[in-house]
Amino acid sequence: MNSPTNPRHALVYLAAALVTVLTFPLIWLGGLVTTHDAGMAVPDWPGTFGYNLFLYPISAWVYGPFDLFVEHGHRLLASVVGLFAIVLCVIAYRNESRGWLVKVCFLFLGAIIAQGVLGGVRVLLDARTIAMIHGCSGPLVFALGSFIAMASSKRWRLASPKTGSNGLGRVAVMLLVVSIGQLFVGAHLRHSLPTWRPLFFMSLVHTHLLMATLILLAVLYIAVLVRNSANSDNRELRTPANALLVIVILQILLGFATWVANYATPWVELTPWLAKYTVQGKGFWESMIVTGHQATGSLLIVCSLWLACRAYRRVPVEQSAEHSLASLSNESESTARKSFRPESVSVGVE
Amino acid sequence: MFSKQIPPLNSFFLLLLALWASAFFSGCTPQEASFRPNELHVASLSQDSTDQQVSELAKTASNHVEELFGTPDSPKWPSEIADIVDMVKVKRSAGPVGRDKSKVEYGLFRKHCVQCHGTTGDGQGPAAALLAPYPRDFRRGSFKFKSTPIGKKPTHSDLVRTLEKGLPGTGMPAFGTLNHSVEFAEDIDALAHYVRYLSVRGEVERRVISAIVNQENAAEQAKIIASKVAESWAMADSFSVKPPRLITTWVPEDQTAAIERGKAIFLSELTACSKCHGKLGDGNGTSQDYDEWTKDWTIRAGIDPNKKAEWKPMKRFGALKPVLDSARNLTLGAFRGGETREDVYLRIVLGIEGSPMPAIARKENDNPGITEEGIRDLVEYVYSLSNPVTSGAAPSNEKGAEHEQSN
Repeated sequence: MNSPTNPRHALVYLAAALVTVLTFPLIWLGGLVTTHDAGMAVPDWPGTFGYNLFLYPISAWVYGPFDLFVEHGHRLLASVVGLFAIVLCVIAYRNESRGWLVKVCFLFLGAIIAQGVLGGVRVLLDARTIAMIHGCSGPLVFALGSFIAMASSKRWRLASPKTGSNGLGRVAVMLLVVSIGQLFVGAHLRHSLPTWRPLFFMSLVHTHLLMATLILLAVLYIAVLVRNSANSDNRELRTPANALLVIVILQILLGFATWVANYATPWVELTPWLAKYTVQGKGFWESMIVTGHQATGSLLIVCSLWLACRAYRRVPVEQSAEHSLASLSNESESTARKSFRPESVSVGVE
Repeated sequence: MFSKQIPPLNSFFLLLLALWASAFFSGCTPQEASFRPNELHVASLSQDSTDQQVSELAKTASNHVEELFGTPDSPKWPSEIADIVDMVKVKRSAGPVGRDKSKVEYGLFRKHCVQCHGTTGDGQGPAAALLAPYPRDFRRGSFKFKSTPIGKKPTHSDLVRTLEKGLPGTGMPAFGTLNHSVEFAEDIDALAHYVRYLSVRGEVERRVISAIVNQENAAEQAKIIASKVAESWAMADSFSVKPPRLITTWVPEDQTAAIERGKAIFLSELTACSKCHGKLGDGNGTSQDYDEWTKDWTIRAGIDPNKKAEWKPMKRFGALKPVLDSARNLTLGAFRGGETREDVYLRIVLGIEGSPMPAIARKENDNPGITEEGIRDLVEYVYSLSNPVTSGAAPSNEKGAEHEQSN
């Protein structure tokens, strides 16, 4: 019944993965809203210029001003994600044997709704501070969706909690916390208020750079740790660790490019190209770079969470190999499906 | 519900809750924006005053100006003074960012400019301290790249040009790339009007502060001052200089000769170009100076900008660390006022207001100076520093040629 290959569990995983994959472009679109300061491009909520959200004319949306296109698109996609979150809850309620995970799915739905309400309150009050909070919590909701996908995966069911010392797990959790902190600082920079003094903003930039350095060091440390061939226990952590390394390098490059795209380089006299470079106000590539930096930040959080989950729940090497063989033999699960009774399942992690 | 075996989850939920709590208990509702009183100018004029006196005096001046010009959310224009701004456009640029129900966009200045220039146009936006050069403080009424002589206001076209083309190598973006959108072309025009509005408002405030410091009746003076400042803007077009058409396709021998003559002028004592720009034009001259925005609250207030102990106390009034206004490295070819020969001509003839770059001394009657032909040779030399002449061929200057054709 609680077999890792139960197709009903796979259904939960697929639904969670789908809703998570949909949440990422939503974050990207939300980032574009911030980049183009389009949060108030549609002055009413939950409707759009007096129309029902879903009935707003497509031609007015697509051929209208870009900020309206982005903001209305963000709202539409958010509705789609909300719809899929409901589907996920239904699927999880009917098929998931672990009660705690079903509750997390409902929490995720609640978080999506709360995000929508927060976005609406931001419009109704025209409050930039709420936009900042909305921008901070968006990646956290994305991380929650990712966590559901991780917890409903085959691997999670095969794994068991790590026993003994778990230095790498602690580093992964620290990385997660610092990455979330970095998200908060970044959101402050993106939603800075006109009343802020330049020295306050400068201190935020320095904090952002300091935290970026900490994250880079932590990721490099993790990369070295998981590549230690003597420690076979860490091998399954290589995938998230490699992903983290790639994301951090990409993120640092995007961070530098974001600065150049917004404010030009501090070293203009180095080359004629830099000296001649003119920042393009709301240019396409500039917008993509700046928004990409923010969106990649949310991937950093998710990958940190992924690594932490793997560090705290390990699949024994021999069990993993056995499971691979079992999967290949295409084992039938029909008997298990018939005997499934949600109320008979014990609630808990394991 | 959640066991100890998944520690990241607990902290995650706590964070989410904390975010929600902060959203609803930290006072998120927006406050009406206000112009920041010019405390730095007050402090530089009356250094013996206490912080409280500086604050009160600046606030008094700001209140006088607010009566005339309103607030960032509700700007107004005194009916008694020259009508140099289109208030419909000013109101589109002012206020919070967003569209009204008829889809007209407002808050253009806060959308595109406030991050660097600040709500007041004082060059004190959040990002200001990290930029080089610092964003322009409009309140002096001085603008660098314009078609009018030093001491005169820029024309509306000058402001539009900077908004459209930006300033290479600085944080000032070019918004011209969005010109395909009819709406945005109107936006640039509206922003130029708002910059005028902010500049007039800021300059009036500075002069009102001076009146208060000199114990004049500020309430009476404010309107007179506003009228004078607005009049100076209204006159700008009459001082605008149109550059002559300059040769872009040279006979090689003539060009080489012009460059040699221009070089001699560049190195001469009369122009003293090489003192700042260096003998090779690479910006490595011996003369170093600060811009007028910095001198305003340092040298003119008896503060040495090179001595941190002297200028640091002014930081509490909003001063940013004094930075030398270095001469440009002309070999890079990055001319902020424009990259055509005509643009370079204007910079040489008119100078760059607020910077150490003076207008060239023209030869008039018996006064020593440079002739019109000499200025053209100098332009060709400066231009050749970043566009070296290859033997037998004229330097490539696609943009210059296009510019000439468009004229």
